Amino acid sequence: MAPSKAKHASGQPWVIPGGFSVLSLQFSSGSAARHCLYVKEHKVRTEKSSHRPLDRTLFLLNIPPYCSEVVVKELFSQFGGIESVELRDHPGSSQESGPKISKLFRPAEKQGFKVGYIVFKNSSSLQAVKSYPFDAPLVVSTEQRPVKTGVQKWIQQYSESFIQPEKLQQKVDNFMQSYDERKEKEAEQKKEEAERQQEEEEGWVKVTRGHKGAKARPHSEAANEKTLQKEKRKKRRKELLNFYTWQHRNTQKEHIAELRKKFEEDKQKIALLRAQRKFKPY
Amino acid sequence: MKTKKESSEEMFVSGSCHDEDQPAFPAKRSKPEVPSEEIVYHPVKLSRNDLYRPPSAEELNQLKEAESLFHCSLLKMQMEELLKEVVLSERRRQQIDSFIEKVTKCLQAVPTLPKVEVSDLSWLSGPVKVPFLLMPKATKGKFYMTPPASINVIGSYPLGTCIKPHIKVDLAVTIPADVLQPKDFLNQRYPRKRALYLAGLAQHLSSSSEVGTLRYSCLHGNRLRPVLLLTPPGKDSSFTVRVHACPPPGFFKPNRFHPQRNNVRTEWYTGVQTAQPESSGPPTPHYNSSVLGDLLPRAHLQFLSAVSSQCSAFTDGVALLKVWLHQRQLDQGTGCFSGFLASMLVAFLLSTHRISNNMTAYQLLRNSLNFLASTDLTVNGISLAKDPDSSAPSLAEFHSAFQVVFVDPSGHLNMCSDMTACAYKQLQHEASLSMQFWDEPTVDGFHCLLMTPKPMIRTSDHVFQLCDLVKLQSTCKKQNLLNDLMDLSGNYIQAALPFVLSLLQQGLGQRIHLLTHSLAPDLEWSVESDAPKYKAQPPLSFGLLLQPELASCILEKGPAADNPKAVEFRQLWGSRSELRRFQDGSITEAVLWEGESMCQRRLVPQQIVTYLLQVHADIPEASVRHIGGIDDVVKTGSEVPTTGEEESLVVVQAYDDLSRKLWNLEGLPLSITAVQGAHPALRYTQVFPPRPLKVDYSFFDKEKISRSLIPKEGKPCPAYITPITVICHMEGSGKWPHDRLAIRHIRAAFHIRLAELLKKQHNYTCRACPSHLDVWKEGLAFRIQVAYHREPQVLRESVTPEGLLVLRDNEEAQQLEVATIHKPLLTSTLHGLQQEYSCFGAVCRLAKRWLAAQLFSDDITEDTADLLVASLFLQPAPFTPPGSPQVGFLRFLHLLSSFEWRNNPLIVNLNNELTAADYTEIKNGFMASRESLPVMFIATPKDKKSSMWTKRAPTVQMLQRVMTVAAESLKVLERQLMDGKQLQDVRVVMRPPLDAYDVLIHLNPKQVPLLSQAVDPPSVNFSRGVTAQSAAQSGGSLPVIDYNPVFLYLLELREAFGDLALFFCDPYGGTVIAVLWKPKAFAPAPFKTSQVSARTVKVTGNEAKTLPNVEAILEDFRVLGKDLVKSVEAKMDKWSF
Repeated sequence: MAPSKAKHASGQPWVIPGGFSVLSLQFSSGSAARHCLYVKEHKVRTEKSSHRPLDRTLFLLNIPPYCSEVVVKELFSQFGGIESVELRDHPGSSQESGPKISKLFRPAEKQGFKVGYIVFKNSSSLQAVKSYPFDAPLVVSTEQRPVKTGVQKWIQQYSESFIQPEKLQQKVDNFMQSYDERKEKEAEQKKEEAERQQEEEEGWVKVTRGHKGAKARPHSEAANEKTLQKEKRKKRRKELLNFYTWQHRNTQKEHIAELRKKFEEDKQKIALLRAQRKFKPY
Repeated sequence: MKTKKESSEEMFVSGSCHDEDQPAFPAKRSKPEVPSEEIVYHPVKLSRNDLYRPPSAEELNQLKEAESLFHCSLLKMQMEELLKEVVLSERRRQQIDSFIEKVTKCLQAVPTLPKVEVSDLSWLSGPVKVPFLLMPKATKGKFYMTPPASINVIGSYPLGTCIKPHIKVDLAVTIPADVLQPKDFLNQRYPRKRALYLAGLAQHLSSSSEVGTLRYSCLHGNRLRPVLLLTPPGKDSSFTVRVHACPPPGFFKPNRFHPQRNNVRTEWYTGVQTAQPESSGPPTPHYNSSVLGDLLPRAHLQFLSAVSSQCSAFTDGVALLKVWLHQRQLDQGTGCFSGFLASMLVAFLLSTHRISNNMTAYQLLRNSLNFLASTDLTVNGISLAKDPDSSAPSLAEFHSAFQVVFVDPSGHLNMCSDMTACAYKQLQHEASLSMQFWDEPTVDGFHCLLMTPKPMIRTSDHVFQLCDLVKLQSTCKKQNLLNDLMDLSGNYIQAALPFVLSLLQQGLGQRIHLLTHSLAPDLEWSVESDAPKYKAQPPLSFGLLLQPELASCILEKGPAADNPKAVEFRQLWGSRSELRRFQDGSITEAVLWEGESMCQRRLVPQQIVTYLLQVHADIPEASVRHIGGIDDVVKTGSEVPTTGEEESLVVVQAYDDLSRKLWNLEGLPLSITAVQGAHPALRYTQVFPPRPLKVDYSFFDKEKISRSLIPKEGKPCPAYITPITVICHMEGSGKWPHDRLAIRHIRAAFHIRLAELLKKQHNYTCRACPSHLDVWKEGLAFRIQVAYHREPQVLRESVTPEGLLVLRDNEEAQQLEVATIHKPLLTSTLHGLQQEYSCFGAVCRLAKRWLAAQLFSDDITEDTADLLVASLFLQPAPFTPPGSPQVGFLRFLHLLSSFEWRNNPLIVNLNNELTAADYTEIKNGFMASRESLPVMFIATPKDKKSSMWTKRAPTVQMLQRVMTVAAESLKVLERQLMDGKQLQDVRVVMRPPLDAYDVLIHLNPKQVPLLSQAVDPPSVNFSRGVTAQSAAQSGGSLPVIDYNPVFLYLLELREAFGDLALFFCDPYGGTVIAVLWKPKAFAPAPFKTSQVSARTVKVTGNEAKTLPNVEAILEDFRVLGKDLVKSVEAKMDKWSF
């Protein structure tokens, strides 16, 4: 912070190379030290998701662990109405795939520094944020809206971790119901497909090769591997060992080579130990 | 500036680390690498031509020999290398030869002085003193100084069996016949004259510039045989020359020294006139053999040279045997098995054709040890005499006078005259132990045999010392050992020792395998000071090798009251012996020792020793110093101190009950196939096992809906209740879904169902969560996790775009497998180990307490530590399995500090499942892919390739640090324990050096729930919402389980600042969190969206660089730990960025 003060006149926004504006943030008004927030309008060439409209989304870096989504919303509402706030561990496109599941069944979130995407209602808010002066810090915890940390927070967490069995059961049931439905639908689809294959046009039944065979050999990597192994074994069984003189001679040769190799290995081990002075008994 | 930080980091990992080529700290790579330092094993690559060229006959022989004679050529080569290290170099030999030549010249120029009375010392001008304790003072006879008749090099040096270190070259100086009189063998006249002669030589040499320091010593602690030690001038004192004064050969007749003859008259010794006729006093065998020993060294040398010239491997074999003896501390001090005896033993084996002349050194060593292991010289003595003359004593006569018998070639001298039976038994024990592991293909035989030192404190299960040796005088008085005193010329320690040993052996009886004692070391003193008194000797140490099942028995059952042996029993135990009636109706004499808990019962041998010494040897309790008290740091319990065995048992019993109830639950949709414990408390290795608690409801807030307790703000943190993990496997069934999320939901449903059933059928308070189920049962909290055996498989499966089903290993699946399969398995295996070795758990607890106290518990995890300790029990060679927590802990520290993780896997053969072939396989696999394997590689039967317990930690730097601290701790601890003057305070090694860290976060003790387990428990303690009554009931509200602000805080810190710093804390009541910055993170980095956490930006020109925002981070430490953090102490002076 020291260099920034020297360089920037008060009341001015600070923009660093790379296009980020720097905002300062402190935990409470009494805090001596400040964190830097780096903000920029969200600009990605291929934004697939509609959650982050390019012209209204603010990209935030370095959000301290005590700032939850609610806190961030509070902090930035001074720049205009906010549609949504999304905090993540790493920057990247949002992946909302799979069925929606309850928070209880998701792996625990990391409590580290986060990146955020704030979607404002108006695109003018972006400019307001970017022109906000560096030396007027945002304050996280004020008297009106205190942010709980430390022991208070842990006690709260502990009491929130309780869930009524009935509610939990409800959630499980809901999920399983939708899961079953989905499975059923998939199964139906498959059946339909199979049927479609069987009765192709004009009532002719198309005979595909080895439908049964395909079923017998499951389509998986492990099965492929197993078949290969079997082939190899079959081949090996057919070979004769030590049958011809040259084979016998070769075996002996191999034995001596084996001994030699071992000897060399041992020699090297010794050399290694000697280099480490491992033979000094005391 | 950057380099300075680097060096401080290096200091932290303590400098000379060989593993610098690990990827963790690439900053170090910038150093120019010296090729010679690059000691890394690479698999050999031989070209095809080299491997398949036709062998020569010689090579073929060599290969065959290596294959058949040794396990592998490795052992042979190792021995050869070892010999190279210990044998004297040519340069050293030249030095020695030239020095001896100078000394010889100098000695020949000793001036002749006029004849005086022996007691007249006026001729000895200058500061030189006589190396003899004159007791009694009066001696008859005349003496004068004159040049020696001859000077010869004797002993191991001319034989070529002299080895490093402590090179000693023996020089025999013959006293001219005129100085002595034929009757001088009587009443210490000859020994005194010899001492005078040595003093004369010392006086002459002290003025010479050819000699460096002059000191006196005595041969193997025998005060009758002083020697003069010379070192060459200058700093290079790598060898010493021992000058012995000898009578001319054949000066005394050997039959005068028959072990049953008296050569020290009682009259002269006591100064009291008796009516006894001359020469019929008590026999003086020790005195006789010490005079006789002076007559024979040249003859012995001749004999050994003759043997050596016939057997080419003789010198090497003896050298190996000497190294073996030295590592076991058997080759020095009074009554030792010296190198001379080792040569004589090999000579004996050669002369009796137990070894043939063309055997190798390896076979010589093996056969010698085999002979020692199988022959008891305390009963069947051996003799080298081929055809002894008729005057020589018989073996039976030797046996009646000495404890151990090994007669020299002349047939008159017992070379083991000073050895106690216990010392020989120890030698025998060591030899048989060596023979046991020699053939074990799974043991590194060479290392155990010849490279591992075995100091007493790490060998014996219990060690105690006699500090005030003067007290042994009263022992002699009490037991009336005057004759022995006279025989040993007043050496009351030697006189009392056999009695003390037999007393202890008798008293400890079945409780011990072996009783050993330290050999009094050879004292050395300056020629200008008087010979030290006997009491100046360092304390005598005794070691006990305990018989684990019987050692801690509190009852000593004697014979029936009317049995004649009862008298003997009563005599031994004195007032402690009382008549008792037993349940089987017998009435016998018995002694009952105190001991309620296991930790008290372990002290029974200690009680016995103290009591017996006090009653029979007049040695007060204060003079006996028992070494122990290490287990203090894991002691709990207010009324009866315990070290956790009893608490663990309570936990295990509660678990057994719970598991039975789970099995019998009715109404589950699928049946339970297995209930397994997966917590250290269920294998007796939890440092502080959970104790049943009763909760004080008024201390907490209440959660309305689920009737659970919640910690109250503003009150001290409630007592920490450890959840004991139990894995509950459910039956496989087609109903289980084949999808990871669905499985997770089904598991949650099971948790709910189990909770309902346990509540309904057994009235346990339960709390179901998606991931587990907490059960509050009799004051203990169990955490049940339902597992489905196919879940890891499902997690691994994925379908490629082509529709091919592939299995890909991933972190999640591995973690699940470890938690639900491997941890329970390890728990049950180690539980079994505890049943076999009763002190296994205690050693684990000590080891983990030390690791935690030194802030390493996150690097060496609990499971890793337990495995390390298990290896001490499963592969104790060259020791026996630890029989007490103390010795186990010391060996744990030694293992940590000395194991070479870089090039060796540690193989823990649990359940003895691994075969020799598995060992080779593991080692080969390890060597082939060393670089990609964890730094600390531990293989078990279920985990031969990946070392799953050490995958995550430690890093190279941390392992290096652990090794350094372990070595230092071991050094401090051993020194403190063996030094009789120091107070025994084991906590010294439990206090970590905090000045190595950059920031210290001091915690508020009020919010540290495990405060009372701290190494130095605080004087004040807080009420933590538990009542003292122990009877805890099931049911009621659910208490606060698994709530520890310190753990939560650490977790948050690591998640937020893990990239910037390392955080260390003692989980058992530590009130400090130590922080170490990562130097790499403090180098300016370019601005990247993925790397700006907690960093400020600095713009120079057109470039933005980021640096950690230290002020804000320190502030965050305070913010995140509000109410828990007392202060944050930043040691800015250490920082350098």
